[in-house]
Amino acid sequence: MSNADINSTETQPLVNKVTSKIDFLQQLQQAIEAHDDRQVYALIDQQRYDHEIQKKDDEGQPDNTTLISDVFPELSSFLSTRLVEYLHKVYPFFYFEEAPEGQYQFYFGNWWGRRLFGTLDVLNVKLVFNDEEYEKVATAFALEAEHKRYNSDQIDDLSQENDRLQQLIDEQDKRDQRKAEIRTQIRQLSQEKGMFFGGAKQRDEKQQLNAELSHLTALDEEADNAYDKIKQNNEKVLALSKEDTLIGYEKQSIVDQFGSFKSFEQRNNSLYRDYIAQLIAAQD
Amino acid sequence: MSDEQEKRVTNPREQGDELSTTGRLMNYNEQLKRELNKGLDFTRQLDQLITTTDPHELLAAADKLTAFQLNSAYLVYPQQFSKADYYLIFLNRLLQQHQNETVTLRADEDADELYHEFPEITADGHFAFTFADEAEQGAYYTERTTGNALFYLNFQEKVMRINSHAVTNLMVLDYTKRYHFEVIHRFEKYLLAVGQYLQQDFDFDVDFSVLDPANGHFHPFRQVGRPEQALDKLFILASNAGRMLTTSGANDAVLDLGMGTSVQITADPNREAAQWGLIVTDDQQQVSWFDLLFKYEFLRDWYMENIETLEIAADSCYFGD
Repeated sequence: MSNADINSTETQPLVNKVTSKIDFLQQLQQAIEAHDDRQVYALIDQQRYDHEIQKKDDEGQPDNTTLISDVFPELSSFLSTRLVEYLHKVYPFFYFEEAPEGQYQFYFGNWWGRRLFGTLDVLNVKLVFNDEEYEKVATAFALEAEHKRYNSDQIDDLSQENDRLQQLIDEQDKRDQRKAEIRTQIRQLSQEKGMFFGGAKQRDEKQQLNAELSHLTALDEEADNAYDKIKQNNEKVLALSKEDTLIGYEKQSIVDQFGSFKSFEQRNNSLYRDYIAQLIAAQD
Repeated sequence: MSDEQEKRVTNPREQGDELSTTGRLMNYNEQLKRELNKGLDFTRQLDQLITTTDPHELLAAADKLTAFQLNSAYLVYPQQFSKADYYLIFLNRLLQQHQNETVTLRADEDADELYHEFPEITADGHFAFTFADEAEQGAYYTERTTGNALFYLNFQEKVMRINSHAVTNLMVLDYTKRYHFEVIHRFEKYLLAVGQYLQQDFDFDVDFSVLDPANGHFHPFRQVGRPEQALDKLFILASNAGRMLTTSGANDAVLDLGMGTSVQITADPNREAAQWGLIVTDDQQQVSWFDLLFKYEFLRDWYMENIETLEIAADSCYFGD
């Protein structure tokens, strides 16, 4: 046995591993050169590809992702061209924007005040929704059963408060009149002081009148600030109505394209499979 | 001979004899001849104003007549048209020359002046020219009852300026309650025609402001900066009316009204970015912002409710607040 043979036997497993990595990189190189996106996806996450597309699970497949993790941004950018094109067909209401290389964010719609709705994970073919914004549209769909919009309750509350504040302003004269009456009454009670009967009763009465007076004064103070408060509330109502309008457009877009929110969610979950299937179909 | 003229003749004797009686008389006669000739010149100008078929002769006559001082110490004409009247006559003659005399010239016997009346708006529109200052050139075409000065006209500077503020007050706020759009639209066409003829015939510098149907006319808002709240309101109102306000470019807003018509709300492309305004575009270059205010109730509501912010500013060189 030569030294080389001995070495060969001992080193064979390692050589195999390295060869496998070289194979992997060569395949990736060829796939990129041929712009075979399907093959690239198969290579960068073999396990997922096998599981979701081939419907088989090969435990113990070598994971080569660490070999290429430093070129993810470039890979992402490379794969994004076709993916974004595809996504624009499936989700015509999402508007994608690349910044910086390989990182995409997307807006919901092209309407005024449209919301930034999430980011795109190109390598995993996944829409990563902004939780808060996603929750709003999900809630809005749920509220349909109650015939409400997302901000209906808040808007109702603010409108009612404004009505109350307006009433406070309108009733200023009435309050002024009542306050004058009370003051007269208190003065009269004070003058009756020292009379034989009802000292305690007069005290009670006076206390009640004073309480009413301070209540009215408190209302006056609130009325003084009511215009500002109404203005503030109107601004809030405007912002809430705007949001409702936005969400309304979002819902409409989803329904127009998918029929229901549920179908939309299902489609989001099967995006990887659907996309790879589309790449395969395009190859044939 | 009147008393005054007798006095003139006798004056030299009373005040000493610097001039002979004959000299005085000749001097007087010369003055009189000069004034009579001036009167004749006036009638020639008036002839020209009334009968000429040449636009330039018409403008020249109007220009002279509006500046004409007919009365003098020697000769007074009790029956005269006013300076304002000649502006009106000029407009009618101009429209006549273009076979488009849509406005009627009427005489107000009580006030002893002429005014314009537009068919179908007879009760709510008496138009006459007014002057900011008698000494200044240029005149304002003003609705007499409300005082709305719809446009400014200056023969010397060859300038016409539509007043967006007055047009909005009178024709949008007021007339919209009383008249169908067809009527107001005809009146708008009349104002446009005047400006167009002045441009074509005399090369006037005309600003049609909100009435301008040409694409690309930037109408600046009164308030500087992007009108955030107003845009949010438009977004909601448009949505309720089945229209969508969309974003465009960096932060412009666009309202597509279909049939090739759209309104873009944007920063002034030619000036500092802080000046926002709107641009109306349509395939035929037939539609003005003014027209849209009538065609779309939600736009009118929006514009009028936010007028403090959105009002399209009138040319401050000619129109004060």
